[in-house]
Amino acid sequence: MANINISCIAIIGKQNNPLFIKNFNPSHADLKYHYIAHTSCDVMEERATMKAQDMYLGVLFSMEDLSVYGYMTNTKIKFITVLTVPDVIIKDLDMKNIFRRIHAAYVNHASNPFYEIDSEKMIKSKKFEQEIEAIGRGRALEGGNRNSLPATAP
Amino acid sequence: MTKQYKTLGDDIWKNKVEKINAELFTLTYGSIVAQLVKDYEDFTEVNKQLEKMGYNIGTRLIEDFLARSGVGRCQDFRETAEMVSKVGFKMFLNITPAVTNISADGREFSLVLDENPLAECVELPDQALVDELWYSNILCGVLRGSLEMVQMQVDAFFVTDTLRGDDMTEIRVKLIRYLEEEVPAGED
Repeated sequence: MANINISCIAIIGKQNNPLFIKNFNPSHADLKYHYIAHTSCDVMEERATMKAQDMYLGVLFSMEDLSVYGYMTNTKIKFITVLTVPDVIIKDLDMKNIFRRIHAAYVNHASNPFYEIDSEKMIKSKKFEQEIEAIGRGRALEGGNRNSLPATAP
Repeated sequence: MTKQYKTLGDDIWKNKVEKINAELFTLTYGSIVAQLVKDYEDFTEVNKQLEKMGYNIGTRLIEDFLARSGVGRCQDFRETAEMVSKVGFKMFLNITPAVTNISADGREFSLVLDENPLAECVELPDQALVDELWYSNILCGVLRGSLEMVQMQVDAFFVTDTLRGDDMTEIRVKLIRYLEEEVPAGED
C-alpha cells in the first residue's frame, strides 16, 4: 500500500451531527477539520444521489494541501477521510480499504448494546478510538476484531 | 474421566444441537441487559433480575440437558464441575470454561471463561463500572436453577469479569447442601 498520510478521520451521523473527529496532523487546528467535515456533508448528499449504487464516493473536494474523501452507508452514516496530498496518485482500492476498516470499526462499536445510535451524542469509546487511531497511523488491524467486512470488488 | 466428558460434549454439540446465528444471540442478550438498565436504573437490582431470569431458564434447561446427554448421577461435586464445564457449557454455548480452584473439601470450584459469547463487542458505561454490574449474571442464575433441580443447592456468583477490566472472567460456585427428598406432611 502506498504511503498514505491520513490527516483526519471524521464520522457524521444521520442528522448531519458530528459523531467522531480524530486529528492525526498537529499542524492543522481541530476546528479546521470540523469545518471541512461540515462542508463535506452537502457535497456527499449531492454525490450520493448521483452515484447510485456505491457507498464509496471518491474525492469530494480539495483545498490547499488537503484532499477530502467520502463514504456514505445506506443508513446515512458518513465517513470522511482527509489526506495531505502526496506525490503519488492514490488508488481507489486503497481508499476503499481504509473506509472498509473504518466501517468495520463502526459496526463493532454499534453492536454495543449500551451505545444509543440515534442519541446525537459524540462517540466516547476507548476501544473505538484505538481502532481508528490504528487505521489513521497505518498500523495493521489487531486480530481481536470480530466483525470484518468482506472486500468488495473495486 | 475428563476426556470422556469432553468427547461427549463435542459429540452432542456436533450432532444433536440446533444452532443459531451468534450475532443475533449476542444482540438479543445485549438488548435485554440494556433494557433492564433503563428500567431499573439500579445496577444491583439489574444483577438480581438477571439472576432470577437465569434461575427460570436453568430449571427448564436441566431437563433438556439430561434428555440430550443421557448421563447418570455424578459421584461427587468434582464430577459435577467437570460435567457442567465440558458437557453443559459446551452444549449450550459452545465454550468449555476451565475448572479451577477446587477447594480442599471439594465443595467449591471456579469456572474461568476465556471467551464469553454473551459479551461480544460490549463496553460497559462508566456508571456500570462504578456500581458493580455483572453483565453475564444470567449464567449464575442458570447454574443455580439447573443444579437445584438435581438436588444441589448452590451459590454461584461472579468474582472477576473482563468487561470490568479484570484479567479474566471467573464464576465461583459453592455447594451449600444436598437437597434430600422430603416426605410430604401427613404421611408416615
